[in-house]
Amino acid sequence: MIGWLKKLYYPIQAGHYRLEKHSIGLTIGIICAAMIGGFVEIAPLFTIDETVEDAPDMRLYTPLEQAGRDIYVREGCYACHSQMIRTLADEVDRYGPYSLAVESKYDHPMLWGSKRTGPDLARLGGKYSDDWHVAHLIDPRAVVPESVMPHYAFLADAPLDTASLPARLTALRRVGVPYSDAMIANADRDAAGQAQPDSDGADGVFDRYGDATQVRRFDGKAGRVTEMDALVAYLQILGKLTDAAHQMETAGMTPETEAAQ
Amino acid sequence: MITRFTIAERQASLVLLLLMTLAGLAMAAAGAGDAMGVHGFIVLFASLGLIFVVGGALYDPAPTEDRSRAYYDDPIKVGIVLAMIWAVIAMGVGDWVAWMLAFPDLRFDGAWSGFGRMRPVHTTGIIFGFGGNALIATSFHVMQRTCRARLAGQIAPWFVILGYNLFVVMAVTGYMMGVTQSKEYAEAEWYADIWLVIVWVVYFVLYLRTLARRNEPHIYVANWYYMAFILVVAVLHIVNNLAVPASFTAAKSYSLFSGVQDAMTQWWYGHNAVAFFLTSGFLGMLYYYLPKRANRPIYSYRLSILSFWGITFFYIWVGSHHLHYTALPHWVQTLGMTFSVMLLVPSWASAGNALMTLNGAWHKVRDDATLRFMFVAAVFYGLSTFEGSFLAIRPVNSLSHYTDWTVAHVHAGAMGWVALITFGAIYAAVPMIWRRETMYSWKMVEWHFWLALAGTLIYVFAMWNSGIVQGLMWRTYTEGGTLRYSFLDTMIAMHPYYIARGIGGLLFLAGAVIGFINIWMTIRAVGSDSKVLDVPTESEAGEPAVPVAE
Amino acid sequence: MMGLSHDTVVGFAKSFGLFYLIALSIGICVYVFWPRNRDRFRRAKHSIMDDEDGPLTGEDRQ
Repeated sequence: MIGWLKKLYYPIQAGHYRLEKHSIGLTIGIICAAMIGGFVEIAPLFTIDETVEDAPDMRLYTPLEQAGRDIYVREGCYACHSQMIRTLADEVDRYGPYSLAVESKYDHPMLWGSKRTGPDLARLGGKYSDDWHVAHLIDPRAVVPESVMPHYAFLADAPLDTASLPARLTALRRVGVPYSDAMIANADRDAAGQAQPDSDGADGVFDRYGDATQVRRFDGKAGRVTEMDALVAYLQILGKLTDAAHQMETAGMTPETEAAQ
Repeated sequence: MITRFTIAERQASLVLLLLMTLAGLAMAAAGAGDAMGVHGFIVLFASLGLIFVVGGALYDPAPTEDRSRAYYDDPIKVGIVLAMIWAVIAMGVGDWVAWMLAFPDLRFDGAWSGFGRMRPVHTTGIIFGFGGNALIATSFHVMQRTCRARLAGQIAPWFVILGYNLFVVMAVTGYMMGVTQSKEYAEAEWYADIWLVIVWVVYFVLYLRTLARRNEPHIYVANWYYMAFILVVAVLHIVNNLAVPASFTAAKSYSLFSGVQDAMTQWWYGHNAVAFFLTSGFLGMLYYYLPKRANRPIYSYRLSILSFWGITFFYIWVGSHHLHYTALPHWVQTLGMTFSVMLLVPSWASAGNALMTLNGAWHKVRDDATLRFMFVAAVFYGLSTFEGSFLAIRPVNSLSHYTDWTVAHVHAGAMGWVALITFGAIYAAVPMIWRRETMYSWKMVEWHFWLALAGTLIYVFAMWNSGIVQGLMWRTYTEGGTLRYSFLDTMIAMHPYYIARGIGGLLFLAGAVIGFINIWMTIRAVGSDSKVLDVPTESEAGEPAVPVAE
Repeated sequence: MMGLSHDTVVGFAKSFGLFYLIALSIGICVYVFWPRNRDRFRRAKHSIMDDEDGPLTGEDRQ
């Protein structure tokens, strides 16, 4: 019995001896133990189309909304606000239909968050008026006295950097967001147009991003396009890139039945 | 310190620094008008400063002694001091932002001081600034002593320590300017990430080359943990930071991954940063400094090997427990949960191994605050790994996730385990490295210990309470079937706990400041002429680790 | 990823991990409890208790 074990063990022991003698061996051991598991776990997520549901009505972020998203990232909003409604009854009751994978398909990076010091924002779009958002961002405690949110008054005076938008959209296309050549070429004009409804640029936004695109003065002021315009435009589109989540809720779908399909 | 370099090494470092100066100049010119340009100037001035340091001593006499006969401790000294500086800065920022959540106007008017920008300054400062410097410095110490070999290379250790700190400086200054990838614990932008890869490769090669020089047949297990830390962190860092810059002359980049894949990659990284940065490396510390300080070999060497492979293997699967009930496929969540629970076995084996090592030496734990730091760290390690496995269970996670319970868990680990084991290791290492009999003041070590312990307990209990209260309030329904509390109601309920948290953090910070002063005074004290061993002496030899005569 | 259907990859991911875990555990346990390794481990465990003033060099080793 022992002899048999010994034979079995011999190569293991010889192998492990080298594994220690030359620390390169230890390196390989650590890679085998640590890396393979991780890649096996993640790999299926990249072969899929099934992980991400189909949503034919899904549209892209407009340049203005993407610029607003970049401001959201820059200010670290994700540190206190999640954008992921879990499949729990109280979350659906509080925030709306639970989040689908497809809804963050174009989110580079995702902003699901990990902590709700403030409420979830996955379905914030359309919940409040632009004026409310602007007033709230300028002085949160003037609107909600108990709020602990920092103020973002400076956004109202900061002109939006639209010049870099074509380059940013190009980078996003490289990582998989299907922006067309026309979208990229007109990115800076579209950003300005979306916040200036009476300008010529507004028409191009409808042409390229659909008639349902929200085109208005998000910061309530005519004239130059500000960072406030961009951030409010982004907040107002949250949860509204596709209607898939609402449709699924109407159809009485739960995560389990969805998985079974 | 420059005098330990040969003339040729001084010239080589000058060449290297000149290259860095040029790189900084290029960054400053190309990135003008962007945060990248500011970082260019930081690189430029840091390199110029070092050029003056090295250049000023260029023609000092060359070293005459045989360097191979001595351990190379200069980079360790700098690493320990830097770790303590980062500790004070980052804990200070942490406590400030904690108060900000109770009193939101407690800030400056500039955008840089908003919570969202300051929070990563705290997390990066603690994890990478304090933890990373402590890990690099102690790894150099442990590696040389356990291998009985000198560090392989004269310039490389400096490159690793200083280059690494340049990365941390770029990261935290970037956040204040709004430069962030928004990936938690990996917020630094692409050029800082690339720089860290270069530093890390040098670190890894340095470690391998020193191990190859060893005068012991067997690599002591502490080095295995440090190796796992270096190696796996490299892979995690590279994969999670894959991104396409919008322009090579500006900081902004976009993650290669999106949505659900990005979430899985991020938390695969995020939890393994906990595993291989905040656990593996610090277990390496534990396996050397605890037996050394207690003057007792580790209880079971076999168990340390078993738990090493267990931790290395299990941890890598558990990241998806951060994504329970989300749009991540259900089976991936279940997998993460299962491995998280199994992880408890090797984790408790490690904690038990540490505690059993002390079994029979409890009088030393009682008398020596340094050893007590390590003892309490092992206890907190056991507690927070239990809590971690518990929180990874789906129904528990439905309550705890998004609340302060997560914050409590993280800080039980970060304050109770990571910081306490680090302070213990530093108090053990400082007298060895600076060749002093003891620390400057054992009373200050005692003060530090009790402040740190009290601070941790207040912090963790406050956040447990607020997290569980908020989680329960979110899911409370009225009899009519509607939600009982608005989100705002739950926020108001948090207020007293946030104040308590601020107090706990303040105590912990005060302890760290005392520790910094104590270390500084130890360094400045005159070295003793008596023969100093690399080990704390026994208590009867006048070791003031024993506060009262018995 | 041509020719690899999602189901195949998921099936592989789900089953492979289990076998890999078992194989790895057996290998490590055998190594740890192999009688001949006992002395190596004992030596390693006690070796860090010894101190010397500097790195060992050629003549120290013998």
